[in-house]
Amino acid sequence: MKNVQIYFLLILVILGGFILIFYYAQAQVSGTVNISAQVPSPPSPPPAGGGGVYIPPIETKVIIQGKAYPLISVTVLQDGKVATVTNADSQANFKVEISKITPGVWTFGVWAEDKKGVKSITFSFTTNIISGMITTISGIFLPPTIEIDKTLVQRGEILNILGQTAPQSEVSIIVNSPEEIIKKTKAETDGTWFYDFDTTPLEEGSHTSRAKATSLEGLSSTFSQALGFSVGKGMPGAIQKVDINGDGKINLVDFSILLYNWGIPKNPATDFNDDGKVNLTDFSIMLFYWTG
Amino acid sequence: MSFNKFLKILITILFCIFLPLISKAAILYLEPDSGEYYQGDTFIVETKVDTEGECINTVEANLSFPQDILTATDFSQGNSILTLWVKSPTIEQESGLISFAGGIPGGYCGKLPGEPGELDLLGKIIFQAKEVSGEQISAELEFLEGSQVLLNDGFGTPAKLTTKGAVFTVLAERLEIPEDEWKKELEKDNTPPELFKIEVHQEPTIFEGKYFIIFSTTDKQTGIDYYQVKEGKRDWKGIVSPYLLEDQSLKSKILVRAVDKAGNERIVEYLPPRKPFPYWIVLVPIGLIIIGWIIKKLKIKR
Repeated sequence: MKNVQIYFLLILVILGGFILIFYYAQAQVSGTVNISAQVPSPPSPPPAGGGGVYIPPIETKVIIQGKAYPLISVTVLQDGKVATVTNADSQANFKVEISKITPGVWTFGVWAEDKKGVKSITFSFTTNIISGMITTISGIFLPPTIEIDKTLVQRGEILNILGQTAPQSEVSIIVNSPEEIIKKTKAETDGTWFYDFDTTPLEEGSHTSRAKATSLEGLSSTFSQALGFSVGKGMPGAIQKVDINGDGKINLVDFSILLYNWGIPKNPATDFNDDGKVNLTDFSIMLFYWTG
Repeated sequence: MSFNKFLKILITILFCIFLPLISKAAILYLEPDSGEYYQGDTFIVETKVDTEGECINTVEANLSFPQDILTATDFSQGNSILTLWVKSPTIEQESGLISFAGGIPGGYCGKLPGEPGELDLLGKIIFQAKEVSGEQISAELEFLEGSQVLLNDGFGTPAKLTTKGAVFTVLAERLEIPEDEWKKELEKDNTPPELFKIEVHQEPTIFEGKYFIIFSTTDKQTGIDYYQVKEGKRDWKGIVSPYLLEDQSLKSKILVRAVDKAGNERIVEYLPPRKPFPYWIVLVPIGLIIIGWIIKKLKIKR
């Protein structure tokens, strides 16, 4: 009888394992971004007794929609190049249509500048555009913009962390330390958010802070860029200077300069992580901050 | 079944279930990972990446193949998720090596829910099976050390990486008309590379501050084969971006031609900025005539 109980218990453990895996798999794809593809409506039939029928060419189109920040311009990239720029409404919603697109695998990116001119990171996604279909990518929610008022603080001093997101979203601020510290705040009706972070629990040294948001409709953003700051002493731990030629954009020009400096940098500004080499790591850092 | 035996089976099952979760890592793999081909057959092997839920932005792959059994005839970037190539695909037939490195601006986090098609493609390698002695022979392809995948985290952190190679069998026989998968793809491709533009730039830190052009495009079918430039009346010549202009006066029209593997081409042009029309040539004589006329009138009045 005792053996039966043990066997029963073990079977429960196995079942529990499967449930965990199922939950885990769901969590991996539970992003709010969704893709749907539909065949455009057929043309209406010609009137009776009419002449020939004009069948318009089948349209291949992409619709990208989601949330950014209220009343700002949103830039949409197509394979790393600027495809179009649109405006978000007062509720931070935006929508763009890209037509005349060749079927195939495309990477789209979306970024925006908040009302203070602070850029978001590029939210990127790759999809297969199918001929004769309208592909709709919805549920995009750009990560919040983030700023800190200083990069060096004394322990116990207040660090102001601020930025912008969609109106009345819940913003989670994550500060790394041996134990991750998570604080929450709510964005105002214009999407601005602010948090007075008390640095008392932080150890001396380098730290980073980043934020993500959940909109009123329940859309979840990915993380913002990580901003570095130091408590007491040391240098900020995050890389913030990737715009090599200082034109406000990170694009093919910066990529060209990076390639020119590949290996041993002639221009130290191309060695983003200061390891004395310009290599794949610097390339990866550049791609993270890409604006097109 | 004894309890001990049951326990062993249980532990094995749990190990199989939970190990992949613990050791989550990006996977570089080949598709197909096996197959049988006749001598002279041309077949396509796709290099792919499974991000395993991570967001990545850079991939470097170094592959080895047996150069005495297979000839790597080409590499196609068509439909690749990589859009910027920091190291163009290189085939070294003599040493049996293939390498490339590229990236995805903004990163790639795997398939989104509802994604209708196949993704994860990095590039296609075109192989031809050589003549072999004996009955049949195995050809093993494997990723080498130095292959890496970097996370889209702003720090270039290397992702944990697992690689899976492939083993193909080359049979001793030869078909009357050898199979050619690549030729079929080339025949289907009648679409030119995507539209692009030429940008002229001058940066103090590169090319000693001289003018250079940049350009980039993709071809969604068979991939870009090469680029050529024509400056003014000079001949076409093969180039890569960035390209230092020969005509630093910027007076020449610049044409860049992108050609895909099937031979479809897209030509774009850059016209040098026109100098504004020298209106002074017209205005100065008119002004002089008017002034002369006024002086003449004044003299007549006096």
